[in-house]
Amino acid sequence: MAGTMATDPPRQRPGDVARTPGGVEDAALAGRASAGDRDAFGELVGRYADQARRVARAVLQDSDDANDAAQDAFLSALVKLEQYDPSRPFGPWLMRIVANAATDRRRRRRVRRAEALDEGLVAGRERPDADAEREQLGERLRQALAELPERRRLAVVLFDVEGYSHAEVGGILGMPEGTVRSEVFHARRRLRMLLADWREAP
Amino acid sequence: MNENTPFDHRPDPVLGDALRAALTIEGRAEFVARVLAAAQRPADPLVDVLARWARLGIAAALLAATAATLLVSRGKQVADESVVRGADPEAVVAGVQAPEAGVLFASYVDH
Repeated sequence: MAGTMATDPPRQRPGDVARTPGGVEDAALAGRASAGDRDAFGELVGRYADQARRVARAVLQDSDDANDAAQDAFLSALVKLEQYDPSRPFGPWLMRIVANAATDRRRRRRVRRAEALDEGLVAGRERPDADAEREQLGERLRQALAELPERRRLAVVLFDVEGYSHAEVGGILGMPEGTVRSEVFHARRRLRMLLADWREAP
Repeated sequence: MNENTPFDHRPDPVLGDALRAALTIEGRAEFVARVLAAAQRPADPLVDVLARWARLGIAAALLAATAATLLVSRGKQVADESVVRGADPEAVVAGVQAPEAGVLFASYVDH
C-alpha cells in the first residue's frame, strides 16, 4: 500500500484542514470525541459534513436521504470511535462508514430520484440564466451518475471529487486498487462525454 | 481534462469541480447542529425506561425474597422449639385443633 500511495501525489481535500499548521489533527479530535468531548465531535462533523453528504448523495441521489444517511454515519462513527486507529487517516475510515450507511439506507427505501429531478428542473427554470444553467448541468451530472453502477459512482466521486488515492478508495469500498482504477476510468469516460456535449451545445 | 487511461493516477479537476457542484448540499451549519442534537439524545428512550424499571423490579424482588426467607426460617425455628421443648408433647399433639402459641410458651417456661 505504501508503494501505491507513492504513485498518488498528495492532494488538498476537505479533511486536509486537519493537517495544516496550527490545526488540530483529526486523530486528536477523534480521541477527544471518544472521551466525550462534544466540541471535538462537532469539529469533526463540521470538517467532514460536506464530504460525507456528497458521498451519500452519490449513492442515494436525493439530498434529504443523503443528509439522513450522513447523520446515521456520524452517529455510528461516534459509537465506533474506540475502534479507530489514530495512526491511520481518519477520512477513509469515516467514508467507509458513510458509504455503508448510504448503501443500507438505499436498500431500505424506494429511490425518490424522479421526484427530486423534477423539482430541480422546475427550480432551475425559475432562476437567472447562469444559475439555471449550472443547475441543469448539475441535474444532468446527477442523472449520469445515477446510471452508473453504485461502486463505480462512489469510486469516481471519492477519487476525483474528494481526492482520495486509488488505494484509499479501495480500502473504503473494499475492492482491489486495480478494480478502483478500472471503475474510475469507465465512470470518467461516461461523465466526460456528458460534459463535452454540454459545452458544445448552443 | 486528463488523458483517460486506467493508469492515470491524477485527479481530473474539471470533472471533480463539476461533480462537487452537482453533489454538494447546502446548510452545513444546520446539518452539524442536527447531528450534535441527535448525538445527545439517548439511543432509545423506551429501552432506557424499561431498563430502569427492570433494575427497580429486580431490587424489589430480592428484598421480598430476603424478607420471606427470614420469616420462613424464623417460623420454622419457633415451630421446632415448640415441638421439641414442649412439657407435654402428647397434650400438644393430641388436640383436635392446633395448640395456641401462648399455651406452648407457658409450658416451655414452666419447664
